[in-house]
Amino acid sequence: MKMIRVIAEVGILYVFYLAGDALQKLLHLPVPGSIVGLLLLFALLLLKIVPVKLIENGSSFILAYLPMFFIPATAGIMNHLDIFSGRGLLLIAVLIISSVLTMVVTAHSSQWITGLGSRQAGARQSLPADSMGEKRKGA
Amino acid sequence: MRILLAAGFVVFNVAIYLFMAMLYKRYRLPVLLPALTATFTVVVLLLGFNISYDTYMIGGEWINRLLGPAVVSLAYPLYKQRHVLRENLPAVLGGTVTGLLVGMLSGLLMAASLGFSKIYVLSILPKSITTAVAIQISDNLGGDSSLTSVFVMIAGFTGAIGGPYIIKLFRIRSEAGIGIGLGTASHALGTAKALEYGEQSVSMSSVAMTVCAIVGSIIGPLVAWIMYH
Repeated sequence: MKMIRVIAEVGILYVFYLAGDALQKLLHLPVPGSIVGLLLLFALLLLKIVPVKLIENGSSFILAYLPMFFIPATAGIMNHLDIFSGRGLLLIAVLIISSVLTMVVTAHSSQWITGLGSRQAGARQSLPADSMGEKRKGA
Repeated sequence: MRILLAAGFVVFNVAIYLFMAMLYKRYRLPVLLPALTATFTVVVLLLGFNISYDTYMIGGEWINRLLGPAVVSLAYPLYKQRHVLRENLPAVLGGTVTGLLVGMLSGLLMAASLGFSKIYVLSILPKSITTAVAIQISDNLGGDSSLTSVFVMIAGFTGAIGGPYIIKLFRIRSEAGIGIGLGTASHALGTAKALEYGEQSVSMSSVAMTVCAIVGSIIGPLVAWIMYH
């Protein structure tokens, strides 16, 4: 029974994907159709037009096995094995440096925005404020 | 015959993944992540038995087709954490947008100045975005989805393994900063690492990961356009 529910809900997610894809083509959006589908579903969930019960089993199922779905796409690397040797290693260095930059810039921008400048002991101050947030959520 | 072959490759793919997932559950080492070990095993077996990628993709295509709904399903965790998103919207948006811009531009400029061809440069662009979305961005821009997928993994490992050092070295102090930084730079692998920094870091990281995918799919084409026009 649970399995049938999951399959039906994955079908619903697929319909959102198809709708997003159609919308993307219709409006010539530069964004992938699947992202349009995600935004569509998110909006309908927020507006309570689509009840969360309609997609929670299917979503949880897909997300639990997510890495499995991109093995085929990733395996295509077998035609590009040169990136793991010679000049390809430079590319890997670029990826690591750029990822470190991404993380540092992101984290410091966020900290700056929340007013927790890096000179203040942010961690200690942010905790009480957030436990209040938790309470508000429950109310 | 073709259908049989396709079904065979799907079963092969699922079986290897489930086995690797079991192995990871038992030992919990980052190098045993199923995305890494299962892909590695598939590639080694295909090369070993002299099966071309195109042949494997007769079945692989079936699994690929689920990538679309997989991206859509990210709406569910984002909806569950809508309060986290609402309360921290400026920090999450500001962080992901600046981080993505710096990440995309630095990757493109470094790769291009080292003389790598357009296909490599464009494949690097969505590296900090979760795989299912990154592959599609790369495809749309003229990159190579399998290169992108591997680059996304490298970006993920940078955060998952290097994260704690980066946090110390660059004095990232708030749980929000740690979470948003890990989620934006290293997607799901970063979010798994955020677990070690507390509840708030995890929820911020997972929200940032999804927001980063949405924002990245909008500014990615823009950055590529600026670069190649």
